[in-house]
Order: sequence, then structure tokens, then C-alpha cells
Amino acid sequence: METLGFLMDGFAVALTPYNLTFALFGAFAGTLIGCLPGLGPANGVAILIPLAFALGLPPETAMILLTSVYAGAMYGGRISSILLNIPGDEPAMMTCLDGYPMARNGRAADALAISAIASFSGGLIGTIGLIMLAPMLAKFALSFGPAEYFALFLLAFATLGGITGKSPMKTVIAATLGIMISTVGIDISTGTQRYTFGVLELYEGIDFILAIVGLFAISELFFFVESRMGGGREKMTVGKLTLTFKELVSTIPTQLRGGVLGFISGVLPGAGASLGSFISYTLEKQVLGKKGNFGEGDIRGVVAPEAGNNGASSGALVPMLTLGVPGSGTTAVLLAMLISLNITPGPLMFTQHADIVWGVIAALLIGNVLLLLLNIPLIGFFVRLLSVPPMYLLPIVTMVAFVGIYSISNSAFDLYFMVAFGAVGYFLRKLDIPVVPIILGLLLGPEMEKNLGHALVLSDGDWSGLWASTLAKSFWLVAGLSLVLPYVVGPVLRRRMNAAIKESPASD
Amino acid sequence: MTGLGDRLLGLGLLVLAVAYGWVAQQWPEPFGGAETVGPETFPTILSVVLVAGSIYLMVKPDPDAQWPLGKTTLELAVSLVVLVVYAMLLEPLGFVISTTLAVGTLSWRMGAPPRRAFTTGLVSAVVVFVLFNYGLSLNLPAGPLEVN
Repeated sequence: METLGFLMDGFAVALTPYNLTFALFGAFAGTLIGCLPGLGPANGVAILIPLAFALGLPPETAMILLTSVYAGAMYGGRISSILLNIPGDEPAMMTCLDGYPMARNGRAADALAISAIASFSGGLIGTIGLIMLAPMLAKFALSFGPAEYFALFLLAFATLGGITGKSPMKTVIAATLGIMISTVGIDISTGTQRYTFGVLELYEGIDFILAIVGLFAISELFFFVESRMGGGREKMTVGKLTLTFKELVSTIPTQLRGGVLGFISGVLPGAGASLGSFISYTLEKQVLGKKGNFGEGDIRGVVAPEAGNNGASSGALVPMLTLGVPGSGTTAVLLAMLISLNITPGPLMFTQHADIVWGVIAALLIGNVLLLLLNIPLIGFFVRLLSVPPMYLLPIVTMVAFVGIYSISNSAFDLYFMVAFGAVGYFLRKLDIPVVPIILGLLLGPEMEKNLGHALVLSDGDWSGLWASTLAKSFWLVAGLSLVLPYVVGPVLRRRMNAAIKESPASD
Repeated sequence: MTGLGDRLLGLGLLVLAVAYGWVAQQWPEPFGGAETVGPETFPTILSVVLVAGSIYLMVKPDPDAQWPLGKTTLELAVSLVVLVVYAMLLEPLGFVISTTLAVGTLSWRMGAPPRRAFTTGLVSAVVVFVLFNYGLSLNLPAGPLEVN
């Protein structure tokens, strides 16, 4: 029961008043970020990174803050799904199906309460899964050599688009662009200046924090300007809570199923939270079949996707913490924080920085409880915030991004860079080139090059050394499959997801 | 449905990939002789991948996205200019003044009534300035408003 001991140490880290304050703030800010449409979890965490950095927070506190924001955002996403039929973030899409009809039937308060509880149990199941699986995976990953790592990175990129992704080729292009940006600067192993063009600011390479904030937050502003969604939305009334204890108990099996399924799809590369909530919802519909009235405000139709996406969000932390390979945008941003704190993620982190890893895990558990406590009484507050029009909000968010970037380096040069990334991000997103692989490329590029070099030195320059071992071979195989499969299975799956959404009468 | 956007992007990326790969071949051999993996190895691979990707884009482009036209393009350009000018004026004008102008202009352009927009800008600027400089002791430029 080594794990339990580590977890206790983790609680000791996370429960200090200082860290607890940040966890509380993070949970609160995260819910806020999650519930505002257009400000997804990746965005929110991205904006807070420079702040956490500039404040000089100790690494464990910074990570606790950001993981709480992450967990909070997953909670918050459901609020606008239920009340406005607009998902606050992508995984909350499925919650619209039954959440909004429930709200229209006058049961908005119940839907919000039960979804908070479902989020809690999903998150809890996911975190327990993380506690059990992560140390095992970390131990296993210790046997990886450079060739395996190189193949693993390829696998991460290949699966990033996900099985439902539209164009895997565009994911490849985006990842390549990201890695290319990461090669700017002085080469670590030889000292050669690469792509610096004699500009002093480029010698140290391009800071990925600039790229992240630019590509996510600034490009989002442009999208809002374009779509002119500046106006506010009508106010929603939540009404009284009529949820009975019996009803709550009746959803427990759904919560368990949803949480477990969500966790599994979170761990698997390429699945992610969106698929987690989709699978949970569809399975629930299959299992209960005619006994439920899904699509018309069935309470279990709210519970299943919420448990699913929160389970998935904890599951997604498993590959990020143990292998240093994130599977989603938000975990990629968390990885950026780790790297800029000078912590190398991967199996060694579990031994070298046990306090941080277990502190973060304990913070997830505590954060879940805090979120449940926050979400039920404060729901009215969050609902009121939903009616703050983006035309006031987005400029302020942009300003906070400027402040964060400026306070890291006190240089206007970085701000120009960030704006440039924002403009480029807008064009790329318009052209359907996803930005997450770019970020991941920026983050993993240097590691990839290092592992490629090591692998070739070990094999005496023989390129076939990159796929010599069985493990490496299987990584290459899965990576290849994930690039081909979306062309085969993708259209079918996407059609089904769309069909499921269209079926529900309320979402027209 | 012409896929012009993707084709142009593909062309641009092709130029980028070739230039990127070409630059990599120009670096002097590192001190100590050539190894299997030099500074140019990885960039060369990347450039080949990107060449392949960009050709694919040009051959099999996706249908075009809806591009903003006319007034919206102008609004986008205005927002971009506001952001650049904000970055430029942050130090000389100080945080409070430049932020009031930037946030105010942005929310005004996004549809808020001008007076409320600039009030929002001013209030948020002062709150953030006080919070950062006194609460968190991160120094934001005060500009001409510097007291001492």
C-alpha cells in the first residue's frame, strides 16, 4: 500500500492553507471559465499560466491551481448547456440533449443539481482510476528507451485528431508546424543557431506560453468579433429544487457506468472527454432503452454525459503525468506549465517530484469536493454571470492575457509575438487546421529531437533501430492506424453523433 | 466548394517547407565532425513531412470555409490594430490609460454603447492595476500617472 502512503503525503501538500486557498480560487475560476461560452478549459488554463508563472508560485501550488481550474471548467461547461442549450465547452455538448429539455420543463434547478452530483461522482471515479493506474503505468514506462519514446510521441500526434477527427492530414500539418517552431533557437546538442536570423530575442527559442495564449485566447477574440456574438443572452430563471432523494438514488448506477466509461476513454489516446460523454450517453440509452424518455428531459440523460466527461478529464491526466504525452488540448496546456516549471514529465516525475504528482492528485480529490460544495449554493451566482455579455467580458479577458504575458518578461516584444500568434491562429482555425497539435508540437518537439538523436546513437546510426523493439513496433502500428482509421470509421461515427443530436426535438 | 483556401494554404506551406529545409542544409558542420544526427537532421525530416502534407492539401482540398466579407473584415482589422497599438502604448502611456483605451475600443466595436464600453475599460484597468501592483506586487507600467 505504497500508493496510499504517497496519497497521504499528497494530502499533506494539498491541505496546507496556502494551497487550499489556491485550489478554492482555481475551482471557482474554473467553473466561471467553463460556463462562459467561448472560453473553454484550454483557454482558461492558458490565460492563467503566465499569471501563475509571474506570481512566482511554487511548482506544486501552481499545478494545484491549474488542475483545479481544469476540474472546475469541466463542471462549469454544463451550466450553459442546461440553461441555454449552448455547450460551454465541447464535452458538454451531450448534456444539452436532456439538460435543456429539463430546464424547459421547469426543472432547471434539478438538472443543475443532479449534474453537479454526477460531475462529482464522475470526477471521483476518474481520480480513483488515476490513483490506481498511474503508478503502474509509470513503472512500466521506465522500461521505455529513446526509440520507444520517439514512437510514442508520433503516436500522440497521430491520435490527437481523435477517431472522430475530420482531416488527419491537417493534424499532421499542424503538428509539423508546431515542431518546426520549436526548432527555432540554439540547438541544445551542438550549439548551432537555427532559424534565428541574428535576432537576439530568438536565440532562446520561441516561448510556448506566448504561442499558447496567442493561439487560444487572442484568436478566440477574433472569432467573437467575426461572429458578433457580443450581445448578451436573455436571463434564465432557475426555479426551485424539487429533486427527491429517491430520484438521486435511482441515478447511481448511471453515475457509476458513466464515470468508468468516461475514465477509460480519457486514458485512451485520441478518445478524450467529448467521446467519453458521447459513449456514456449512448450506452445509457441502450441499456435503459424504452424505460427512459431520453431527449425529452430524462434525468439520466443529464447524469450519464456529465459523469462521463468528468471521468474522462481525470483519465486524460494519466498519460500526461506518466508519459509526458497529453491527449487533449487542456492537458497539453498543463504540460506546458510543468515544462516551464522545469519539471520533466514522465515516469521519473513519480519518483523525483512525488510531492507534486501526489499533491496534484490529492488536489483533484479535494477540488471535486470543493466544486460540489461551491456549485450547489452558488449556482445562482454563476447563472447571473452567464448573462454578462461577451462584449464586455472578452476584451477584459484579452487584457488579462496581455497582463500575464507582460509580467513574465516586461517586454513589449513578447506582446507583439502573442498578437501575431493570435492572428495566425485565427487564419489556421478558419482553414480547419487545429491549434492543439501546434501547441503539442511546440512542447514535444525538443524532446522528440533529443530522443531521435539518442536512439540513433544507440543503434549506431541505423534508422531501423527506431522500430526494432516490439513495443516500438506496436506504437508505430497504432499511430499508422489512427491516421487511416478516421477516413474509414470517422464519417460513420460523426454521422451518428450528429444524428443523436438531431433526434432530440429541443435542440433544433 | 472550390477549396481555394486550402490550395493557397498548401502553396504557402510548400514554400515554407522548402525554405525551411533549404536553410537547414546551409548550417556549417558542427565542431567535432559530422554525426548521424546533426542540427540539420530533424529539420530536414520535418520539411519533407510538410512538403508531403502541403502537396496533399493542394491535391485534395477541403471545401472552403465561410470567410468574412466587407464590414466584418474591417472590424477584424480594427481589432488587430487595437491589439498591436495596445502593445505599443503599454509602456509609454502606462497601464491604466492604454488599457482603458484598448478594452473600451474593443467592447465598443463589439457592440457596447461607447460610454459603457470605456467605463468598463477604465474600471477593469484600475482594478487590475491596483490588484497587481499592490496586491500581488507585480509591476505594471504606471506611465505618466506615476506619482513619485
